[in-house]
Amino acid sequence: MIAARHILGTFDEALSSLRNSVLMMSSLTERSLDRAITGLLERDDDMCAIAIADDEEIDQLEKQVDKDGIDLLLRFQPVASDLRRVVSAMKLSSNLERMADQGTNIARRARKLNQHPALPETELIKPMYAHAMAMFKDSIDAYVREDVQLARSVVPRDQPLDDMNSSAGRRLIERMAEDPAQLRGYLNLIFISRCLERVGDHATNMAEDAVYAAAAEDIRHQHLPAVNE
Amino acid sequence: MVSLAEIPEKITSQMIVNQRQPGPEAEIERGMIEIDQLDFAYGGHQVLHDVSLSIRARAVTAFIGPSGCGKTTLLRCLNRMNDLIDSARITKGSIRIEGVDINTPDVDVVDLRRRVGMVFQKSNPFPKSIYDNVAYGLRIAGVTKRSLIDEAVEKSLRSSALWEEVKDRLHVSGYGLSGGQQQRLCIARALAVEPEIVLMDEPCSALDPIATAKVEELIRQLKEQYTIVIVTHNMQQAGRCSDHTAFFYLGRLIEFDGTAKIFSNPAQRQTEEYITGRFG
Repeated sequence: MIAARHILGTFDEALSSLRNSVLMMSSLTERSLDRAITGLLERDDDMCAIAIADDEEIDQLEKQVDKDGIDLLLRFQPVASDLRRVVSAMKLSSNLERMADQGTNIARRARKLNQHPALPETELIKPMYAHAMAMFKDSIDAYVREDVQLARSVVPRDQPLDDMNSSAGRRLIERMAEDPAQLRGYLNLIFISRCLERVGDHATNMAEDAVYAAAAEDIRHQHLPAVNE
Repeated sequence: MVSLAEIPEKITSQMIVNQRQPGPEAEIERGMIEIDQLDFAYGGHQVLHDVSLSIRARAVTAFIGPSGCGKTTLLRCLNRMNDLIDSARITKGSIRIEGVDINTPDVDVVDLRRRVGMVFQKSNPFPKSIYDNVAYGLRIAGVTKRSLIDEAVEKSLRSSALWEEVKDRLHVSGYGLSGGQQQRLCIARALAVEPEIVLMDEPCSALDPIATAKVEELIRQLKEQYTIVIVTHNMQQAGRCSDHTAFFYLGRLIEFDGTAKIFSNPAQRQTEEYITGRFG
């Protein structure tokens, strides 16, 4: 374990500020996704509107993280673990912003669904949401705690989410054929399922970045076995 | 006294067979340096402890570490500059250049210092013209033919990226040059005697950023022909200029690896702590 503090106090302050911005983004993104899904499942248009409005603050934070990251690189010319932390923070913020965009898309689709009678197939979204959010939380946790093992465990969990998306898509297409009057509704659910599949992809990216930050290892584009394989 | 250049090949080969460790025979390259279990002391004070290091030929190796870690002492061992200090001595180990131990009595120290040139932190041109600064080493070596000296002076000044700036005023005093130009003049002076190795002790620490950039660019060009060892306090310079980096602390070699590895993911905790500014 290396010594915690740099001799240059301003360097520590800058790194801490960058990290806090990423954590703030993570909290806001989680909340935005939660609000969007609540708006869908509870048919709450107000919650959908709030989720959509949340995106602005997250977008601004992404810009702030990039600005602070560049400033750090310029002023302090970090190396080794410090450099990896800065680069990973900037990459994480990009993934968090895209996740928040998915939350906005879910909220917009939910608002459209709320204008029509409820569809039972909306239940298909629940397990996907639970799975995607678990991946999200673990990836952020792994980044914060520099837990390489936890980060690695997130990556193989993306495939089951992809499978759930494919399965939900097939079911919804069947329903579109069976009940064409609700075609728009089923289409919106297909898009929402796709949004959650993308949330899983971003969580995977974040987990890979967490491994890089902690262990200087690039695990992208590898097949990692699931924990129980 | 026998100079290294005069040692017949068969004797050199014999010395290599006698002195090298058992195991696979490494190819001996021009300008290759091997430091083996070196201890060094000033009087009763030991400053280098069991240093072992292979410096690659035609590459740039940086020595980094906090003040007092022994990096300049080690650098000065490579051309026996420490011989000039009464109490300084190697107490154990060896330094081989191209397979030959440079501390044996039959080594010509003057010739060694021709082959292993040195550039110092503070540029030290002689109180002579630019031309005479560069020509000095050649004249000492016995070269008298004017055309040969002219050719060597131009070649050295071109090699040190100074020719275009001074070609029309070669007989002006070296003191009339800027700091960066003086340092490049000192490099030209070292190159004029056709060394194999160039040692640089914080060559840019007294230079402005532009002059520093010119010297760093020069180092990049020179490594195609010369082995370069540079002591630097500037971590970013080590990262920019060197192929390999050795980190020293309290007289010991802590880590030696490719520069990219050292600065992206060092193996030793102490290295990481030093390069990230957590101590030093």
